[in-house]
Amino acid sequence: MFRYASLILITLAAALQLPAQGDAAKVFPYTINQVTLDNGLKIVSIPFDSPGIIAYYTVVRTGSRNEVEPGKSGFAHFFEHMMFRGTDKYSKDDFNKLLKSIGADNNANTSDDRTVYHTLASADALETIMDMESDRFMNLKYSEEDFKTEAGAILGEYNKNYSSPFMTIFEKLREAAYEGHTYKHTTMGFLRDIKDMPQQYQYSLEFFDRWYRPENCVVLVVGDFDQAKLVALAKQYYGPWKRGTYTLDVPVDPPQTEEKLINLPWKAKTLPIVSIGYHGPAFSDETRDMPAMDLLSQVVFSETSELFRKLVIEEQLVEFVQGSEGDSRDPGLFTIFTRVKDPKNIELVRSEIEKAITEAKEKPVSAERLQAIKSHLKYQFAMGLDNPDAVAANISHYIQLTGDPESVNRVYRLYDQITPDDIMSVAKKYFNATNRTTVILTQEESSQ
Amino acid sequence: MKSPRMFIIAALAVLVAGGAFSAVKITELRSETSPLVTVRIILRAGSINDPKGKEGLNALTASLIEQGGTQQLSYADVVAKLYPWAANITSRADQEITSFTGNVHRDHLRDFYRLFADLVLSPRFDSSDFARVKDLGINYLQNNLRGTDDEGLGKQALNAFMFEGHPYGTTEFGTVQGLTSITLDDVKAYYRKMYTQANLWVGLAGGYPADFASTVLADFGRIPEGTAAAVTLPAPPPVEGMELMVVQKPARAYAVSMGYPISVTRKDREYYALMVANSYFGEHRTFNGVLMNSLRGDRGMNYGDYSYIEKFTGGTAGNAFPNLNTPLRQQYFSIWLRPMPPEQAHFAIRNAIFELRRLVSDGLTEQQFEETRKFVVNYSKLWAATMDRRLGYLMDSEFYGTDYYIDRIEKELKTLTVADVNAAVKKYLNAENLKIAVVVDEGKGQEFFDAVANNAPSPITYEAPRPQKILDEDAIIKTLPLNINRAKSRVVPARDLFEK
Repeated sequence: MFRYASLILITLAAALQLPAQGDAAKVFPYTINQVTLDNGLKIVSIPFDSPGIIAYYTVVRTGSRNEVEPGKSGFAHFFEHMMFRGTDKYSKDDFNKLLKSIGADNNANTSDDRTVYHTLASADALETIMDMESDRFMNLKYSEEDFKTEAGAILGEYNKNYSSPFMTIFEKLREAAYEGHTYKHTTMGFLRDIKDMPQQYQYSLEFFDRWYRPENCVVLVVGDFDQAKLVALAKQYYGPWKRGTYTLDVPVDPPQTEEKLINLPWKAKTLPIVSIGYHGPAFSDETRDMPAMDLLSQVVFSETSELFRKLVIEEQLVEFVQGSEGDSRDPGLFTIFTRVKDPKNIELVRSEIEKAITEAKEKPVSAERLQAIKSHLKYQFAMGLDNPDAVAANISHYIQLTGDPESVNRVYRLYDQITPDDIMSVAKKYFNATNRTTVILTQEESSQ
Repeated sequence: MKSPRMFIIAALAVLVAGGAFSAVKITELRSETSPLVTVRIILRAGSINDPKGKEGLNALTASLIEQGGTQQLSYADVVAKLYPWAANITSRADQEITSFTGNVHRDHLRDFYRLFADLVLSPRFDSSDFARVKDLGINYLQNNLRGTDDEGLGKQALNAFMFEGHPYGTTEFGTVQGLTSITLDDVKAYYRKMYTQANLWVGLAGGYPADFASTVLADFGRIPEGTAAAVTLPAPPPVEGMELMVVQKPARAYAVSMGYPISVTRKDREYYALMVANSYFGEHRTFNGVLMNSLRGDRGMNYGDYSYIEKFTGGTAGNAFPNLNTPLRQQYFSIWLRPMPPEQAHFAIRNAIFELRRLVSDGLTEQQFEETRKFVVNYSKLWAATMDRRLGYLMDSEFYGTDYYIDRIEKELKTLTVADVNAAVKKYLNAENLKIAVVVDEGKGQEFFDAVANNAPSPITYEAPRPQKILDEDAIIKTLPLNINRAKSRVVPARDLFEK
């Protein structure tokens, strides 16, 4: 008879208590353990009531932001794919067979500032996972033939993504808005660089040598584990990993000095899409600009905003409108998207968005509205913590930004402190015409 | 699946409340410790209930309930009420059923539920909201599906092709002309007919109070009893040889979906045998499958290649596990090849069929069977990681009239043998009679069609040397004959799909 690994159903976490408004208590309700090994590798662990299950994440604090050399856009993402191509100890097929044997869900993804490798599996597979993960992070080995074959899968990923016009808009917006900073390209990379990837085998070895180093990575375990055993295993498996020496110099862009506008024709059938980007602040858990921008995003662009009510619900000029700035290590773009129902209303919609931003600069948000927004942010966060994988995904977000999972508590404390004046202040500071890049996508006349 | 802190009550609840008699079914999955609550309301009607000429009526009605107001509150007021709680209400209109799902932190359950119940039981049906959601539906079909989502288009084209003339044959969202012809009065009449005790079913999951279900039953007991919206399904149209639908639109890469109806569902034991074979052949978003390893791993043609033994929509991003609340009485087998360069699409179709033929002829070895069975038992437990998802699977199990899906998988797989699996493969799968939908670039449709129908050679070239084993297979695959049934095949512009 066969045996199954002891996967037991997940039960939900113990009662989650939200801190009262203004309370200095931590928004993240679970214990965060942090241990740093001698080689600089940080092990973060969070006990969570999910009997028999663990989420195992490795956060590499390298993403497309690190692609500083010309012609290498998209490489961090490409490298993520290569990490599944095997080692001397575990070939690609061995790696997949082992994962299959433990019934794991295993994958990875890359963005501007990080690459995350994640596994959801039975708790008793912890040592197996750590063995496999530490091995490939230290000893990855692949042939040039495999490298070239995987480049085809990258082109395939580009192909699947680019039937949506949003990918192209995002690409054009960034390319225009940034001068030399690596946020100029998307994580996917420019098509010309993707097509050249098969020729970059030697560079890929260099890339691994630079970035897949203990001081640049954090291992995060959430769920059902024994802390002492976890640390002992980490020392055993990751102990031999050697520190790296490479230092990154990401170009700093000068302030944008004039407005930029791009008209983008689209061959396939589509409604017009307007996208507007304003250079904003970098993520910080110490200063107020970024948290104030997050609240401003809710004031002006959430479903409860006056702009949404007018454009979407009442006048029905657009299908949706949204605006926000994702957290990023370096100054990012606050990006507004809207899909306009009738091309003749594009300018009207742009002017309504501009009016809403002007109002945010001049009119303080009411105390009641501010309270509702802060409540929304806290409950939204709490509702996203309903299983170990979701907790790990949430916390890995803050690890990529600062290396410290406690950033989550610090930034939510800042949200509590934001005042109407803070919101007006960032509106005035960042939402200026000379700081703006607009992309307007419309269907070509000849399209069906 | 029992956990000491969880209570499952799945019964046809009958409650006398305020003089009202409720025949509404309620499914409960209560946790004493969970901070979250999910309320799931299912209407046992879907696009198969759309009247002829009004295709999309079921979906439009659901959208108007979800994105409309109550008798007391406008849509904007509803959104404003939900906002501080970060609570959400979504709807999903499918072919057989329609679901409304509300998620809230238990701090706000009572107020949230009042609002949610009012949306479903006393909707506002405002003419301005109607115009807005109708526009969304038409734009989705006309612009988004036809223009900007080639993988979704390929899947919907396959569905329309497989179920031509069958109640499943339109999209869940209807057709452009159907939606265009629908009036607000049509919606109100459909609502009166369908949203009755006979068709509604409520699910509760999470940390709600023990007496909460009685409140729900009392509310649902006040609506008309109505009659069940049953639709008798004819047999799906037969598939005769390989039937090819080439869909044309501007496209930089070609998306492929292929498949055929099968006569097993989760209620059948053989479904679970087929489940093991399918996981071995094409488990979604993993590197376990034969297809994924052959097309992507060995040949680098595209991003992913999977197979399914029941309806699977979405799944284009993230680690999507099997859908919730899209059950069908008649299921289908399908293969999804993610977009590949135009010059490789013909080879890729042959490659997938080559592997399918091998599966059907050789089956699984004892070792492949054991490895896959073990994987599926463990992996399927991950699908139900939240109370919300568990409730969804539980309600689907009740639709099929079977035990809780995740438990049933373990129970059935424990007693399966490799012979069971290979027998199910032989009985239900074949590589000779299948429908193929391909999305190709504008103006290239006929050329592609002719190449496939004429069995033109489709050699593949690589950036780097490949092992001899792969080259030997390629030599067979590049001329693999496909028996295209020209009489039942065609080239269509995307603009003609989902029109009426």
